[in-house]
Amino acid sequence: MRLGLGAKFTLTVLIILAGTNAANTLYDLNASFRFHEQQLIERGRALGRLISLVSPEAILGFDFLTLNNYTREVSEQPDIVYSVITNPEGAVLSSYIDTTDPLAKKYLGQTESRDALKVLQKLEDRDELIKLQFPITHDGKLLGNFLVGLSREGLQSEFRQQLTIKMLVLAAVVVFLSLAIYAVFRFNILHPIQRLIAASRDVGRGQHAVVDVKSSDELGLLATAFNAMAEGIKREQAQLHRQANFDTLTGLPNRLMAFDRIDMEISRAKRSGQRFAVLFIDLDDFKSVNDSLGHPVGDRLLVAIGARLQAALREGDTVARLGGDEFLILASDIRSEMQVEKIADRVLEAVAEPQELNGRRVVAHCSIGIALYPDNGENAESLLANADNAMYQGKATQQGTATFFTEQMNIRLRKRVQMAQDLRVAIELGQLTLNFQPIVDTADRRHRGAEVLLRWTHPDRGAISPAEFIPLAEADGQIVDIGDWVLEQACRCWSSWRDAGIESGFLAINISRIQFRRRFSARLAELMSIYGVPPEALELEITESVLLDDHSQVAEELNSLRAVGVKLSLDDFGTGFSSLSYLKRFRFDVLKIDRSFIAGLPNNPDDVSLVKAILAMAKGLDLNVVAEGVETQEQLSFITAQSCEFAQGYLFARPSDEKTYRSYLENRHTGGEPVRRSANAT
Amino acid sequence: MRLALPLLWLIAATAAAPVVQAAEDPLVMGVFPRRNAVETAKLFTPMADYLSERLGREVKLVTSKNFDSFSRAVAEQRYDIVHYNQYHYIRSAKTYKVIAHNQEFGKDAVAGALFARRDSGITEVSQLRGRTIIFGGGKDAMLSYIAPRYLLMQAGLKEGDFKTEIAVTPENAVVALYYKQADAAGGGEVVLDQPAVKNAINVQELRLLATTEPLLFLPWAVKRTMPATLAGSIQSILLDLKNSEAGKQVLKSAIMTGIGKAGDSDYQPHRLITTAVFGAEGNAK
Repeated sequence: MRLGLGAKFTLTVLIILAGTNAANTLYDLNASFRFHEQQLIERGRALGRLISLVSPEAILGFDFLTLNNYTREVSEQPDIVYSVITNPEGAVLSSYIDTTDPLAKKYLGQTESRDALKVLQKLEDRDELIKLQFPITHDGKLLGNFLVGLSREGLQSEFRQQLTIKMLVLAAVVVFLSLAIYAVFRFNILHPIQRLIAASRDVGRGQHAVVDVKSSDELGLLATAFNAMAEGIKREQAQLHRQANFDTLTGLPNRLMAFDRIDMEISRAKRSGQRFAVLFIDLDDFKSVNDSLGHPVGDRLLVAIGARLQAALREGDTVARLGGDEFLILASDIRSEMQVEKIADRVLEAVAEPQELNGRRVVAHCSIGIALYPDNGENAESLLANADNAMYQGKATQQGTATFFTEQMNIRLRKRVQMAQDLRVAIELGQLTLNFQPIVDTADRRHRGAEVLLRWTHPDRGAISPAEFIPLAEADGQIVDIGDWVLEQACRCWSSWRDAGIESGFLAINISRIQFRRRFSARLAELMSIYGVPPEALELEITESVLLDDHSQVAEELNSLRAVGVKLSLDDFGTGFSSLSYLKRFRFDVLKIDRSFIAGLPNNPDDVSLVKAILAMAKGLDLNVVAEGVETQEQLSFITAQSCEFAQGYLFARPSDEKTYRSYLENRHTGGEPVRRSANAT
Repeated sequence: MRLALPLLWLIAATAAAPVVQAAEDPLVMGVFPRRNAVETAKLFTPMADYLSERLGREVKLVTSKNFDSFSRAVAEQRYDIVHYNQYHYIRSAKTYKVIAHNQEFGKDAVAGALFARRDSGITEVSQLRGRTIIFGGGKDAMLSYIAPRYLLMQAGLKEGDFKTEIAVTPENAVVALYYKQADAAGGGEVVLDQPAVKNAINVQELRLLATTEPLLFLPWAVKRTMPATLAGSIQSILLDLKNSEAGKQVLKSAIMTGIGKAGDSDYQPHRLITTAVFGAEGNAK
């Protein structure tokens, strides 16, 4: 049973009141009992002294009737059970037993009433009896004794009666006081507390509540404190609401609010039959701004772009920041796609407006994906996903453009998703294989090693290009397991060749940016140890994108790899975020010139200039250079003339599977054809 | 006419006689102090009032604080009417004439007696030799002392053959016996019937050892010098008490059942006993 505060308090007061008053009453009654007992004894003594005084004459005169009168008179006094006069030898001269006395009634039979000695003996040990004895003397001679028995029974009975009455009165007083205290407690304590509880529940339900402060006592202070707390909670809620719904950096609505706005717009559009557009905006290469100028500058750019977007839109349109470099625009009341295109153009222009940051002129661009309601989705999630998809696919084609969502995009998206799912089981099903493309010395065409290339043969779709599935694997993290598999397979191959006495040279293995982040150097060392692969047998190829990550971590991992002893190669140099500062900051052994630059040699002057510059820079930094995609003798001659040490391409050999490559290696040793062309292509 | 005047005077004098009598000295009625003065006055005031009314002359009740003062008053004949015990009368017979006697418990006479406790083993008076005997009311008490002494003498026990104790009243003597303060007690045969005794002790524990012949109860006497007509009137009034409702109330107040006629010869047995106990000179005190 749950006792309320009032019941507990009242019960406590009741117990205390009852306890203290009962104790007090018992003490008083006991004291009163003792007092009256003493009075009784004093009365008995007074009577005893009186009888002792008047009895000698009657004893001497054998006036037993007078003695009887004395004893009778004494016994008729209240609370006196018996009075007896004896001679010095103890023989009874006169006695009177008050058979009406409660004590005598309790312990004596009627027949015993005249036998004084038996009566005295029978009452001897009764606690209720007070026995007094007084000598009767005359001229110093003992004539006898006066014995009187006083009964406490009457006092005890009175005590019990008084106790009963007082306890009843006490119970009534305690009940009355308890009720009164409960009433006061209920009015002064419980009611304010109940108001506080009700207000607390309101606050708990998210409602703002204030209680009236009616007193200056502790409850008044509590109510004041509660109101202050409620105000604080209100402020906190407002702040939380703002934090939950608005982007703290730009002050724009955040993703959550954007969804709410879209939902609201959907409701409104359903009622009005109007259309609206969701524009998903992603800044192009924003990371490079952060990396090159620092995050504070990047943040300022985001704030500036947010403000520009707001300025570029109509009143009533919504701009939200979804996170990172992603923005969303909710454009209401759209009547045509052309109207949306105009909005998108204004956005592209607004974003591309140069911005002065930290004394540097920064120009940002963005890609936009557009989804229309109700054409491209009937809820916020689908609209946003489709706009995102449109942006993604548009950006994949060309950055800095606005792309309307189409159903084909969804089909492509579904394909991607299916491909990602198929890729998850590709290793287990043995669908992934390694290909090897030799790398040769340009001076004498001698075999130096090979680049390890991953191939996926899908059971339905056949061979799938790494350019198609590697980004998928990187996007959902599968690249870690796949990369590990590639690394182990490469080590296994190299080890088997060595065990077979085949001099295979080094293996250049591509390492993903995602793999690199996981700091795989320890795993590499473990595999090298397992398969007995020496460091010089491995060369790790990483792209410039790896270097865009946290520099200290990159440097640390590169140092770890160097400690393992493997060579490091910077792949696809010139195609990405090529920065000379990277080459200066991070020490590499090899630089690989992307095939796109080799393809224009030796006729394309831009490619010629670029390749010459790269080779000159590499020489200056003491780096070996591998030219990728060498397919013609002219290209080989050019790079050889420019002192490019190594080359790789169809001119020397196409990528081949393990078995073919092993044959190639064995034939090379035995003087056979160095290259056997493979159907697989990179 | 000359004869008429003396006749008228005689008639007037005769008519005025009660007035003259009322103016006489009141008659003094003395009652012996066997009870205390207050109780005595309470018991006999109705008797005095009744006599006053019937005699047409005030009867004044006089109590005595003790037997000595009472005996002196008797000896000095200060009482016109006196109520005392038989021995008192015998001693005052020369100056007082007995005219009536008490009737108590419906009896005219009562025997003197000796009592012992049933558990004492005493069944014969002769066994009291050397024992303590308690008597009540003093040595003048006819039934409580003189008559028991007479019984002792009859059994051959003279004074000195037993130890004598005296209780203030006959009732106390038997109560004292009950409480074993003596081996025997003397008293009137009816003492055990007294309410005071019956209420105080269990009389069944006492035994009657011996009794005298019945002796006429306490006497009422008048001075021998009292005119015979007045003495006769008093006697008549006393004897007539039991015949009227008012008289019965007087008797009841005095704890009597009636008053009978008595003469000196009626107390001759008493005289013989007192003479036997005290000798002839004892009756002359």
